[in-house]
Order: sequence, then structure tokens, then C-alpha cells
Amino acid sequence: MPEWYGPYGGSYVPETLIPALKELESAWKSARRDPEFRSRFQELARDWGGRPTPLYFAERLTRELGGAEIYLKREDLVHGGAHKLNNALGQGLLALRLGKRRLIAETGAGQHGVATAMIGAKLGLTTEVYMGAADMERQQPNVLRMRLLGATVRPVTQGQQTLKEAINEALRDWIANVQDTHYLLGSAVGPHPFPSLVADFQSVIGRELRRQSRARWGRDPDLVLACVGGGSNAIGTFHPLLRGPARLIGVEARGSGEGPGGGAASLVRGSVGVLHGMRTYLLQDEEGQILPTQSVSAGLDYAGVGPEHAWLKDSGRVEYTAATDRQALEAFHRLARTEGILPALEPSHALAVAIQRAPDLPRDQHLVVTLSGRGDKDLAEVQRLGPAR
Amino acid sequence: MGRLGEVLRQRRQRREGSLLTYLMAGSVPPETFLGCVRAFRAAGVTGMEVGFPFSDPMAEGPVIQRAASRSLARGTRWSDLLALLPQVSGELPVAVMTYLNVVLRHGGEKALTELREHGADAVILPDLPLEGLRDLGPHRRTDGLDIVLLASPATGEERLLRLARRTGGFLYLVSRYGTTGLGGGTTPSTRTHPLDLTEEIRQVHEERPRLPVLAGFGVRDAQDVRSFLDQGADGAIVGSLLQDRLNEGADPSELEATVRSLVEGLSSKRLGLDATRERGL
Ligand SMILES: Cc1ncc(COP(=O)(O)O)c(C=O)c1O
Repeated sequence: MPEWYGPYGGSYVPETLIPALKELESAWKSARRDPEFRSRFQELARDWGGRPTPLYFAERLTRELGGAEIYLKREDLVHGGAHKLNNALGQGLLALRLGKRRLIAETGAGQHGVATAMIGAKLGLTTEVYMGAADMERQQPNVLRMRLLGATVRPVTQGQQTLKEAINEALRDWIANVQDTHYLLGSAVGPHPFPSLVADFQSVIGRELRRQSRARWGRDPDLVLACVGGGSNAIGTFHPLLRGPARLIGVEARGSGEGPGGGAASLVRGSVGVLHGMRTYLLQDEEGQILPTQSVSAGLDYAGVGPEHAWLKDSGRVEYTAATDRQALEAFHRLARTEGILPALEPSHALAVAIQRAPDLPRDQHLVVTLSGRGDKDLAEVQRLGPAR
Repeated sequence: MGRLGEVLRQRRQRREGSLLTYLMAGSVPPETFLGCVRAFRAAGVTGMEVGFPFSDPMAEGPVIQRAASRSLARGTRWSDLLALLPQVSGELPVAVMTYLNVVLRHGGEKALTELREHGADAVILPDLPLEGLRDLGPHRRTDGLDIVLLASPATGEERLLRLARRTGGFLYLVSRYGTTGLGGGTTPSTRTHPLDLTEEIRQVHEERPRLPVLAGFGVRDAQDVRSFLDQGADGAIVGSLLQDRLNEGADPSELEATVRSLVEGLSSKRLGLDATRERGL
């Protein structure tokens, strides 16, 4: 498992966590070669998690836009309503293998919190989820879901009260309780081995996509888009395609388009630094203080990004761009009305860029968007923001 | 070696316990800060730890988090730290404690050079692991600025000895699982207790007999200081106890009284002569 992606990655954490990180890495190395672990994982992913997910042809949207054929990789149909379960399931089983009795997690949109609460309930582990108070407000349905699943939701009231602060608190909890607790980190961020561990568990998205597209039209897709918060659904989508010919685009959140951080687009607007145990691109000021972020989508509203994305940006293999709140909302409404699917606001950012680019591509090309989650959690927020123009 | 490391080493040789006091730069006006430093010196403190704020201090409990937010809200900048350091180091040996990103953003090695030129003897970065030392360039442990590494109760023996070999000035031994603070974490689940570190300290001293080991995190009173010394440590580091009072508006003379009482924990008897006292540690 790589710790470094070019100059990015590492494990910049207090000494107390170092042994736990090493222990986690070796647990995963042995588990992934253990047939019993693998078959349990695959059985749960299928029967409980709903995998594989379909690759869906968005026919009306394609016709409206008049360019490349648009397909959706339907991670919104995974149990819980987002790709987050792919990782929570894997790490939950690892926690059990490590003999940990307690799970903690951070969550922004609440989807990772829900996924952790689900696996915690399923495996009989105590589960506590840190969530920024501002995110609890805008993603209320998920707070209720976590509680119904038996998890404790701990409001985080420091700073901006969003994802970054929730990660801070989860790390602090882990430092105090590392002996009996597994920190089930929800994105491809944080200290090694989390970025590569999460990428491993999420790569099922790209593996299925590659198989499905080859079965369907005989080759890889031409253009693949995914939204990037911490970057887990995107890295899971891209990983299996990196060696192939597909053009890959990661879409960050530009927010309202104003503000010092320019929304939450750390790859597009940021500079290199160290946060949450990793060296990567960050939104920070000249003094090295992390900047406030802003996005309509709680899951993308984060000042950092996974280190592998930082490297894929530098190497030029993946193009990173950003969509505004407004563009994401328009894409949300458009998909709802053309395809009968309410997407989460996070992948609506990737959809927005797909909608921009599809018309310019030849009709015989295949464009895929990873629809990382469903929009039920966002209904109140979308209503508050008003109808599409 | 920096002056702080030198002083700590001499005190270890003389079997005198040491006390380092931590306060966050910029959490109060510079005059108040310096008033505290002078008061601590008068109370018999060995050295000063000057905190510099980072927006996301993952190893800190609520008290130091609040001090950092306050300092940033007051607009504290790196240049303010550089302006403050010579005055602090005029009173006491100084270690600067901050987070890696701040140092990297100010040029990494260049930032360390600036700290040294302004009177710092050491730098403590709780999110810099042993493996990250190379990020700070060839400068480390040279030119009078020590990079102090931290060890924790979670650290296994082999790694502990590597930390002991690589640290500069002294080894900072975190006394428990948890963040800085008096035990009251943000949530009940972050409340933990100091552990008995006698064996760890013995191993370090066996590996590097002249290296001072200072224990910290969660020191509340002279008893805590005393118990670290009884476990074989060369001294204690106290932060949140003092910063909490400062956050609540205490003035330097009030803090001086608290520090005097802590210093008594050093002098009630000489180092390493009697057995570890219980006290549920
Ligand atoms: C549906 C959905 N998509 C995307 C994300 C962003 O996370 P990542 O970039 O790790 O995929 C989230 C995070 O909460 C999410 O809920």
C-alpha cells in the first residue's frame, strides 16, 4: 500500500496514533489475502449493500444535450444511499478483526455517518459520529437516521462547524481512545494508511464500471467524471481506469464563487501543506492557517483533499475543475426532471460539468458520471435555495 | 544544542527537577504575556514554552483550542511571534510549540532559522513524527535549535529508543492517551488519566543517560509534578492549567502563585530517591 503519492501523503499525526496506524495497515494486508475475510466482505457487499450497482444510460438527458451518450454509475442505489458504505463495510470488518469494540467517524453530509452507523449496528459495535453543528442543521434527515440506527451523534461547535472540525474532533477522540476504538475515516484523506485503504475499498466502483462498459460497448468510457470532496468516490472510480485511455475529471465545489477560499476547491485553488495527517493541497492563507470554506454541499465543503488526487493533478493524469452552487443546483433539478432521479448535491457538481461538456463531444462517445449518492438528504436545502432558473 | 536543552541537561546532572510552563502567544496582549514570563521566572521555572496558534490543532484539548482561536481572532501572525521571542528569551530559555503546517508555510528550514535567530532554543511540533524530520531539512539538531520529539504511552520500546536517539534537547513524554488539557475533553470519551511511565523513562535513560525526559499533558498540581519525578522524569510541562486561568482573565501575579505551588513539587525532595507514590496513577 503506497504511503506516498509523489510528495503527497505521509502520516503527520501525534505519536499516540502511530502504532494504531501501523496496526491497521498490517491488518488490512493480511485480511485482503484471507479468503474468509474476502468472502464475508463480498457476501455483505452483495446481500446487504446491494452491489453491484447498475450502469444506467441516461437517455433523455443524452438526447436533450445532443452529444456524447451519458451514463450514470448508480452508487446512489447502494444501501444507505451513497458510495460511503463500500468503505464503511470494509473498515467495519477490519475493526472487528482488530478486536476494537467501538467505532468513531466524522461526517459532513451525514452519508458516511449513516454508513458507519449501519455497519456499527450490523456488527454490534458502539458507534459515535462527530458532525459539525452547521452540517447537522442542513443534513437533518441523516442525523435522524444515524440516531435510529443506534449511533450517538456528537455535535462539533468549533470553527465553521463543518467537516474539517468534525475530523479534528474525531482525531482527538481517537488519540484518547485508540486502545479500544477504530476511527472509521470516511474519505480518501488523513494519515497513511487511510488514503490507500479507502481507495482500495472504493475501487469496486471503477472495477464494476470498467467491466460494465466493456460488456456494453466493448471498451472503456471516453470521459469519466466524479465529484471530489475528500475524494473517495472519485479515487474509487478513477483507480481501475488510470492505466486505460479514459479522460478523467474530478469536480470540486466552487461554492457561491466568492470568498477567500473560492468555495472548497482545494485542488483548483489551493497550495501544498499539511492537515489532518497528510501532505496535500489545502485552502490556506499566507500564514499557514486553514481558510474557511463554503459550499451548498456539506460533503464537498472541505479545505483539503486526498493526497493521491494531489499527485494525479500534478502528474496531469486527471483534470480537476470546479462547479458552483448554482450550477450544481441546476444539474440537480435537470436530472430529477429528465431521468426521474434525485441526486445528492455532491455528485450534482460532477453532473453540472458533464452537462457542460457532453454537447461538444461526438455522439459515439461514452461519458460516465459517478452518481455517488441520492438526494433525499438534501430536499430541505434544495427547497430553501429555491427553484432552478 | 540549544540553551534550553543545555540547562535541562545540567539540572538532570545535578538531580534537580525542571518545570516548563506553556502559554499561547497572542492569546493575551504581549505585555501581559511577558508579565507572565517574568512572574514564572521569579517563581523558579526552568523554561518557557511559547505556543503559536494553528487553526486546526489536533493534539489540543478545549483550553488550548480556545486560546488558539482567540489568538488568531486577535490577528496573531508569525512576525508577532518573532517580535515576542527575543523578549521571552531574555528571561528564560524558550521552546516554540506549534503545528507543522505553520512552519512549512514559513519556509520550513527557513522558519526554523528565524526562530533560532530570534532566541528560540527548541521547537515542538506535535504532528511531526520521527519520519517527518527530513521535511525540515538538514538543519535539524544543528545550530542551536533543537527539534524536540514526543513519545507516548502507546509507543513501543523499539520506537521509543529511536525517538530518544533522534530527539533534540530533551524527550517530551506524553503522560497519557489523550490531548492536552486537564482531563475534561470536549466529550466524556476524551477524558483520560496519566499513566505510570516509570519503565518507559528507565528505558530512555538507559539508552541515552544524559537526555532529559520531561513529562506533560494534564498536569493539575504539585502532586502531578511530583509523581512524574517519582517515576524518574527530569521534569514536567504544564500548559492548560495556566492557559485556562489566563483565558479566564487571571493576571500574572495570580498565575505566579499557581506556578510557585507547582515548583514546590520539584523541590520537596531530590530526584529518583524514593519509590513511585501511588495516587491511582
Ligand atoms: C453522496 C456523496 N458524494 C460525495 C461525497 C464526498 O466525499 P468523497 O469526495 O470522499 O467521495 C459525499 C460526502 O459526504 C457524499 O455524501
